[in-house]
Amino acid sequence: MRRPDATPPTVAERLLSAMLEAHWAETILGDLHEEHARRAAAGRFTAAIWYCTQALRLASRYGPRAVWRCLHVERPPAISAPRGDSLMRTLGLDVKYALRSNLQRPWLAALIVLTLALGLGANAAVLAMVDALIVRPFPFPEVDRILLLSDSSRDSEYRREQVSPANFLDWKREGDRIQRMSAFSWWDVNLVGRDEPERVQGFRVSADFFPALGVQPALGRGFLADEETTGRHRRAVIGDGLWHRRFGGDPAIVGRTITLDAEPYEVVGVAPQGFDFPMGAEVWAPLEFDANAARQRTNRSLTVIGRLAPDASLEEARAQMTVIAERLQQQYPDTNRERGVRVYTFSDGMLDPALTPILALWQSAALFVLIIGCTNVVNLLLARGAERQRDIAVRLAMGADRRRVVRELLIESAVLALAAIPPTLLFAWIGLDALKGSMPASIARFVPGWMSMQVDLRILAITTLIALGAAVLFGIVPALQCTRPRLADTLKEGARGASAGRGRQRIRRALVVAEITLALPLLVASAMGAIGAHRFLYGPQGYDPDRVLAMEMVLPRAAYEGDDARREFVERVLDHAAAIPGAERAAVMNIVPARGNNNSHPLEIEGRPNADPAFPPSVDFRSATPEIFAVLDIPVHRGRAFTTVDGKNAQPVVVISQSLAERYWPSEDPLGRRLKLGTGPWLTVVGICGDVVHDWFNRRNYPTAYVPFTQSPTRIFGLMVRTGGEPAALSSAARAAVRAVDANQPVYDLMTLRAALGERTLGLQYIAAVMGVLGTLALMLAAGGVYGVMAYMVAQRSHEIGVRIALGATRADVMKLTVSHTVRLAAAGVALGIALSLLLGRVIEWGLLGTATVDARIVAALGAVLSLSALAAGYIPARRAASIDPICTLRGE
Amino acid sequence: MATLYLGEFEQVVLLAVLRLGDGAYAIPIREEIEARTGRSVARGALYTALERLESKRYLRSRFSEPLAERGGRSRRYFTVTATGLAAVRAARRALLQLWGGLEGMLES
Repeated sequence: MRRPDATPPTVAERLLSAMLEAHWAETILGDLHEEHARRAAAGRFTAAIWYCTQALRLASRYGPRAVWRCLHVERPPAISAPRGDSLMRTLGLDVKYALRSNLQRPWLAALIVLTLALGLGANAAVLAMVDALIVRPFPFPEVDRILLLSDSSRDSEYRREQVSPANFLDWKREGDRIQRMSAFSWWDVNLVGRDEPERVQGFRVSADFFPALGVQPALGRGFLADEETTGRHRRAVIGDGLWHRRFGGDPAIVGRTITLDAEPYEVVGVAPQGFDFPMGAEVWAPLEFDANAARQRTNRSLTVIGRLAPDASLEEARAQMTVIAERLQQQYPDTNRERGVRVYTFSDGMLDPALTPILALWQSAALFVLIIGCTNVVNLLLARGAERQRDIAVRLAMGADRRRVVRELLIESAVLALAAIPPTLLFAWIGLDALKGSMPASIARFVPGWMSMQVDLRILAITTLIALGAAVLFGIVPALQCTRPRLADTLKEGARGASAGRGRQRIRRALVVAEITLALPLLVASAMGAIGAHRFLYGPQGYDPDRVLAMEMVLPRAAYEGDDARREFVERVLDHAAAIPGAERAAVMNIVPARGNNNSHPLEIEGRPNADPAFPPSVDFRSATPEIFAVLDIPVHRGRAFTTVDGKNAQPVVVISQSLAERYWPSEDPLGRRLKLGTGPWLTVVGICGDVVHDWFNRRNYPTAYVPFTQSPTRIFGLMVRTGGEPAALSSAARAAVRAVDANQPVYDLMTLRAALGERTLGLQYIAAVMGVLGTLALMLAAGGVYGVMAYMVAQRSHEIGVRIALGATRADVMKLTVSHTVRLAAAGVALGIALSLLLGRVIEWGLLGTATVDARIVAALGAVLSLSALAAGYIPARRAASIDPICTLRGE
Repeated sequence: MATLYLGEFEQVVLLAVLRLGDGAYAIPIREEIEARTGRSVARGALYTALERLESKRYLRSRFSEPLAERGGRSRRYFTVTATGLAAVRAARRALLQLWGGLEGMLES
């Protein structure tokens, strides 16, 4: 049986009718109606779904034409002016009207422009970051033809691995699809000269390094192929910054000799200004390949780049390298077993994998803010449309073309959107400047492209496009709404227009609910970021980072070749450090906690040979002086710490961390057992100490072995001093303690451990801060939306409220009436927001790099905050409603 | 006969309108095509074809009385004009010319 009241979904029908041309609308809508009625007999829900699908498909077909028609309105002949380009002239007129109409309500226009600028500004800033950090972080010529080659091994946790010298030489010799293949490796250099000794970031590079990147030294030359041989390798190219800082920018530097790591190097060139690849390098010297290096396949320390041959494609290069790697696997089964090669484009290979999720999170958050902002603007425009409804109805009644009126309203929106662009750029610029300024240079150098983040023409162009797109989005609904062809109704309703506002009010309330819904996940994400950063910085570390001053040193190989020289240096430095007034204890360890670097060794337990010698288990390796446990306040649970007894000729000992003991001796007592680290001697376990968080991302409570520095003196280590008072005050005294022992030995990264932790968690603090700004914006805009809707509702219904009061309603009744509206809006928005937050939980966690998990309590607490803000925003109009004077309202009749 | 050129889908629509006679409006036209050719027809594509055929004067349309089941809207009935018929004939002739002599190869 056909039910007569089976009408198609109104919204879908209206949407479609707005898109269709008049002479086809009747036919198409009628056909759909008829088929819908047939289907509704079988099931009304499925029929409604069917109708919506059909309407959407047809709308997508006719929508573009509708927009086109709106923009191409023929001028009516009655008012046709002199001949000429009618579209351009009417457009000019419309823009003039739009400006005038916006200026009639300057505060409203300003509010809209500001709202848009906040949303657009957030987007522009994040877009500038994506552009600088991901799209083009490296300014090298034809950067898309530069490749990065990486070793790959079974179950590696990194996507990029370093390469052994022998493998690199084989790749270079055999791979003709990749030209200028070259390698580089990290090189900490101590530069000694006229001024205080300085530790400089250096890299050893092969001769083709500069040509591979397409970089020409600004002065002098790069390296020659025969400078890769030992004996001729003491050449250096220095960076522009170093050249000016230490050598006064003197062009005569080329050909002069400087002292690096206690060895003389001839300067052959100066790098062009701004070139600091990789990682803020300031000195480059040739890698030396001797006969020994050409056989070295286990020491993997090289990063390999190259340039795609002119006629080769990336796929060809990949295929060829795979063939070469497979041959090497067969030829050198001991070292190359299961080792392949990965070929990345340079920008892809160098990309920090953590960057993509963070920027994706920021970009979506910025987009949310923009959508919330646009929603507010729709609401404001709807309110204004209501005021202009009669005016527009009269124009339509007198024969004005609806499309022309819609176009006019859209142009008004576009003018507002374009007006928002200057403040948008200003906001984006302020935001980027704040980000750049707050990042210490020591960290910025590890983020290629960071310092080149800027608002440029590309960002301006994209922002303009987004602004115009937003203008169409936020302009079309109000424009269609207030030009709905219901002339008679509108004109009849008179000035109050209470019922005409009904549909409009429904849209506006839905929009406010949507705003609240979108704001909550943003607040949740920002809170999660803040919690994660706080936990990293102040959570339990396993050691006490307060009141500890740390600095690092690299002893030059030439001056400290032997173990005894290093032992003596450390002993004397510790004596001087302990004598500093205010210093309580001092110790040296090869790795300072909470810094980026680490040192791991393969592990073997006595009596339990590793099942697969090619893939032994790995533990973190620490070589420390006895006081380290006291300085860092790491508890020794069982056995003993080192003492001075554990000298260089005594029995080799090791203190292991709790996690190491639990993993390898789960049911036995490890004390007295023996283990071996790499190729070293057997070490006897004498103590078990607490675990530490070396790195919150990947080294929490990782198995660690501590050996006495005297038995394993390293060349690179940190000096840590526990102080009675403020540790930073002792900085210069600590520096002097080192200089007293060796005036040519520079120290670097001199700061308190607390500050080091702060730097280490800086990225997370950035995430939290940016998300916090975006979340606050979202909260403010959503509260503004609630206020707007409620204020408008009160204004529209002031007559009705006046009558109610006149008829005996108390102020409390009126308050209840309006507040209950706000409560309903907030409740609906927050409920949907909670659902959305939980739904997006995994995405948020991914964006925060898994440092925090979405917690129902936090979602609930922030839902409460959001509700309270909404209620506060709704309270002001409610107060106004309650204070309406019935006499005034009724007199207005 | 360049002026009477017909696209394949236009031919199909014209033939369907011819087959339906007096009752040809968009819904049965679409059903007719789908039933006879076994292929599904996008609603939008059909309206576009009808509009184009009418503007080429191959089709003519008239509106019915408003109908309750259509929400008070009229049906738009289509009939093929003399020009339209000529175009269909021309298309058929052209195709038959091309078919001629290939029966042995194309019919299984």
